[in-house]
Amino acid sequence: MTADRRPALEASDLWFSYSARRPVLRGVSLTAAAGEITIVLGVSGSGKTTLLKLCKGLLGPQRGAVRVLGEPVVAGRRRRLDPGVAYIPQHLGLVRNSGVLDNVLTGALGRVAELPSLLRRLPEDELRRAQALLERLGIGGKAAEKVYALSGGERQRVAIARALMQRPRLLLADEFVSQLDVLTSRDILTIVRGIAAEGVAVVVTTHEMELADRYADTVIVLRDGEKVLDRRAQAETITDIALALRG
Amino acid sequence: MMGRGALTAWLRRLGGLVLIAALIATLRSVGLLDPERLVRGVRNLGIFARGLFPPDPSTLPTLGGAMLETIQIAFAGTAIGFVLALPLALLACPVLFGPPVTASVKLVLALVRTVPALFWAIVFVVAVGLGPAAGTLAVALYSLGYLGKLLYETFDGVDPEVVEAVRSVGCSRAQLARYAILPETANGILALLLFMFEYNVRASSIMGFVGAGGIGFYLLGYIQLLRYDLLLSGLLLTLAVVILIDWLSGLVRRMFLIPVTPAAPAE
Repeated sequence: MTADRRPALEASDLWFSYSARRPVLRGVSLTAAAGEITIVLGVSGSGKTTLLKLCKGLLGPQRGAVRVLGEPVVAGRRRRLDPGVAYIPQHLGLVRNSGVLDNVLTGALGRVAELPSLLRRLPEDELRRAQALLERLGIGGKAAEKVYALSGGERQRVAIARALMQRPRLLLADEFVSQLDVLTSRDILTIVRGIAAEGVAVVVTTHEMELADRYADTVIVLRDGEKVLDRRAQAETITDIALALRG
Repeated sequence: MMGRGALTAWLRRLGGLVLIAALIATLRSVGLLDPERLVRGVRNLGIFARGLFPPDPSTLPTLGGAMLETIQIAFAGTAIGFVLALPLALLACPVLFGPPVTASVKLVLALVRTVPALFWAIVFVVAVGLGPAAGTLAVALYSLGYLGKLLYETFDGVDPEVVEAVRSVGCSRAQLARYAILPETANGILALLLFMFEYNVRASSIMGFVGAGGIGFYLLGYIQLLRYDLLLSGLLLTLAVVILIDWLSGLVRRMFLIPVTPAAPAE
């Protein structure tokens, strides 16, 4: 893994609430370095998904700021988002009626000419890149299939291919292996580790401690919207994580 | 002194009596409490029923041509209505546009929907003259109002996670519609289109009542000439065509629609 610790993502003092009730996030800060995997752990309702949406710009913080490679992330319900930040939601957000290749190609929409893309005319090199990504992820033969016909692990790979199609500097993945069996989860996270090794900063949320122990360079634990642990992954981290999660 | 329970019971009885009185007043007002009229009505229905049988197929060739025109009105009207409704429904989609745009478009569609198809037919007969062109335009406008509403409600139902995932690639609103909203709702769009076409075949069969083309012109004529046997032939032909179109629609649905929650194969 690369030793570059340049912060690709800097989130500082993030506060967010969906209503007047208790905030979902309370003053959470984090940094994620290029070439590393940061795993955000927390039980359901601890604020993990909200944190990733703030980092992506799908939500705007009530207080605090997010920067990606030094550039501020500006949220807006209908504004164009930064294609350099890839986001994989918990249930992947694939268009089920579309084919696998079409889903992957959506990753290129942020950089291709708009009008031809509306007529499904995408540059040949983008088509080749999408096919190559599918080959790399082991589902090259599924390009023409509809997403609804794929298995869970294959859908995960399609979502990763779409994210990589964006040529991301930062990859945000929200609980995206939580519904897979152990072996498939490991396969997927090994792929993610390879992506990080290419210099992409990866932030993955999960509630599974074992994944943090095995794959994280940095572990962050959220509890009730607050960060209660943020440290480099070490052999003894697993005990600290368990204590932090339990409170 | 009346107790609370007794008062409630008394009020209920009073409410019931008021309702019955209102119903009787309404029936009297619409003429359904006139025994002479009712007896005459039953007698006329008997004459009408006797006049229907046996159906006279002698005008079926003419009716066939008119039925074809009815289907053409429904087909072209549905297609034009859909082409107009699709962009308007996207403009009414809150994922893509803000409240000023969505509310304005929804208001326009509501206004179009307020006017019945037959009234639109009269308007277009005045505008473009008697014949199927007026019927087609009426069906198109009527379809625009309904398809527009049904489509934007379908778009509203798109999984927010799909929208977020595709938005996050940095695409434009048009690309979001093209690559997420439209494909994700393709099943719903096709189902609505088929439903609207089936509905419009029925609706188009009375366009001729106001001179806007189709089989309705003949049906009205047979009623006015008291040729109920010819009318029954026309109605049976309409019924056969509607059943045929229902069957064809079902066939198209089975061919194109995909299962909503298909089972994923085992790992």
